[in-house]
Amino acid sequence: MPKIAIVGAGPSGCYVAQALLKLDKTLEVDILDRLPVPYGLVRYGVAPDHQGTKAVSRQFARLFERQGVRFIGNVTLGETVTLDELRAAYDVVVLALGLSKDRELDLPGRDLAGITGAGAVTRHWNDHPDEAAQVPHLGNRVVIVGQGNVAMDVLRILAKQEPDFDGSDLHPRHTDHITGAGVAQIDILGRSPAHEAKFDPVMVKELAKLEHVRFALDGIELSQGHDDDPRVAAVTALPQDVPVASHEVTFRFGWKPERLSGEEGRVSAAYFSRGDEELGLSCDSVITAIGFDSHIPGLRDDLLAQAEDRETGVVDKGLYLAGWFCRGPRGTIPDNRLAAQDLATRIVADLATGQATGQTTGQATGQGGEKPGRAALVATHPDLTDYDGWLRIDAAELAACTDGRVRAKVADLETLLALACAPAPGPATPETDE
Amino acid sequence: MKIQLLYGTETGNAEMLCEDIETHLADDHEVALANLNDIDPADLDADTFHLVVCSTYGDGDLPASAQPFADTLETAGTDLSAIRFAIFGLGDSSYETYNQGSEKLAALLVKHGAKQVGDRAIHDAMGSDMAEDLALPWADDRIAQAADLFAET
Ligand SMILES: Cc1cc2nc3c(=O)[nH]c(=O)nc-3n(C[C@H](O)[C@H](O)[C@H](O)COP(=O)(O)OP(=O)(O)OC[C@H]3O[C@@H](n4cnc5c(N)ncnc54)[C@H](O)[C@@H]3O)c2cc1C
Ligand SMILES: Cc1cc2nc3c(=O)[nH]c(=O)nc-3n(C[C@H](O)[C@H](O)[C@H](O)COP(=O)(O)O)c2cc1C
Repeated sequence: MPKIAIVGAGPSGCYVAQALLKLDKTLEVDILDRLPVPYGLVRYGVAPDHQGTKAVSRQFARLFERQGVRFIGNVTLGETVTLDELRAAYDVVVLALGLSKDRELDLPGRDLAGITGAGAVTRHWNDHPDEAAQVPHLGNRVVIVGQGNVAMDVLRILAKQEPDFDGSDLHPRHTDHITGAGVAQIDILGRSPAHEAKFDPVMVKELAKLEHVRFALDGIELSQGHDDDPRVAAVTALPQDVPVASHEVTFRFGWKPERLSGEEGRVSAAYFSRGDEELGLSCDSVITAIGFDSHIPGLRDDLLAQAEDRETGVVDKGLYLAGWFCRGPRGTIPDNRLAAQDLATRIVADLATGQATGQTTGQATGQGGEKPGRAALVATHPDLTDYDGWLRIDAAELAACTDGRVRAKVADLETLLALACAPAPGPATPETDE
Repeated sequence: MKIQLLYGTETGNAEMLCEDIETHLADDHEVALANLNDIDPADLDADTFHLVVCSTYGDGDLPASAQPFADTLETAGTDLSAIRFAIFGLGDSSYETYNQGSEKLAALLVKHGAKQVGDRAIHDAMGSDMAEDLALPWADDRIAQAADLFAET
């Protein structure tokens, strides 16, 4: 029975597992992640006040609860385990590691304090252990550079007030911090005119519901003749005539970022240009939401360079790339689902022709040579965590949750690991079913 | 009476729900399951009862996997007057266009003559109900209603 390791328990990894098992129930699938918790950006990217979207994780829980997929946490590819080790242990390896590094604004002044990437900010608000200690600096006046959906998430969280977070899992420590910073003025800028902006119109419509926010538009005239465009319609419908407002939000279109300046090492103004016009905005902080880096020197670039089919994610028979790690940091959860189905079809086809197995160096496989699968991992790594460990974390988070919230996430890696390893004194290991 | 489960989905919730309904019905019924994406309106069958599960996206729009079906139905104008269906919607009440995808799909089927059995039922991703807790009784109820109708004809 072919053994498959999927590295990365985000939506792509989970959808690949789901699609593989739809094609062939007998496959033995393990999903590995560097964290003791699964679901990647569903847990750590999707906004805390979009619980409906996060609910897709119920499908992924099925994999572990009913379909025999094993979750193996606390294993980092490139640190705890090498790609060669994995390929020796499994017939098929799928890398679905995501791409989480914010693309930097390559401008004079970019090293000033008070400039944070939207990926880091949203990971912090979502209680990602990597970012738990990195409390973003905010202040009264925040400039957001970028107008995609992630920028809209950041804007919405900054502009909301406490009761608006009912039903979310944004920890009260974050709302306290945001309120404490006194965020009152937010400028959100993009290079494109409104009719070419990157956000989905529903993201803007959602903002219109915030009754304490007064909106203003700059550069909407660049969209003359595009009144029918849903994005233009959405921004022009934002309430501008709000007598009593605690927050001012200005959408500015057509502005190219030029430079950042600061005082005592901390950002205090951001400058933009539009044709001959220049705009200087004084601010206390800048959040850049201009996407994620697609080039990480090393593994990903090397694998893509030798890939047989970059689009589908075939490096060679037996090694595949999926999700953002394959196609770059673009695309939604539904996009990853469709791509995962194509990839799974390809993997199963490769397995059927016997091509996907026995490619690894040194391992005597040949006919009937069974690969050890997770047994090889468990033997060498005593501190792996399992799905039951995640369930203990989940239960603890649900139990700790306070009024108006649906969960109180644990942000600290040590506590997560302690919970994941709880019942057995000492390290927990995933059981093998042999 | 055969049963055809059909789903329109983007992130797969409607598909999973259909699989749950299929498992629930499998012992007592002849059940088939398909993505609306793989179905032509002309494939629908008068001797079959259709249970449709459909989510909502964009601005109250159909999910991607239901769109080609809806487009074909609009352009081909397929006569569905011999077809019976019931529909269950997946949505999220934080959107103003709450569950309008399934509403639109139902209206489109009815416009082309299909007979809707029972009211549309809906699920809210922001609510505390599990979709299957609503959808399994929904399926049983609509099948019972449909059985009477099929028996009459
Ligand atoms: C802030 C934000 C909000 C978003 N909101 C939405 C939304 O509302 N709706 C929507 O459809 N899409 C949204 N997206 C897009 C969506 O999150 C992505 O399309 C999707 O998560 C990509 O999935 P993935 O599995 O490829 O990567 P990821 O979700 O990033 O998963 C990668 C996984 O790999 C693990 N990993 C990384 N490195 C290693 C390693 N070396 N060893 C082991 N494991 C490793 C990580 O821990 C992680 O679990 C959002 C994205 C962001 C950034
Ligand atoms: C981008 C996006 C837009 C959505 N728009 C709506 C909407 O307009 N109305 C609604 O009721 N639900 C909306 N939803 C909620 C989905 O319909 C709901 O999450 C459903 O469970 C998804 O089912 P599926 O996985 O089968 O597509 C939206 C969800 C997302 C992610």
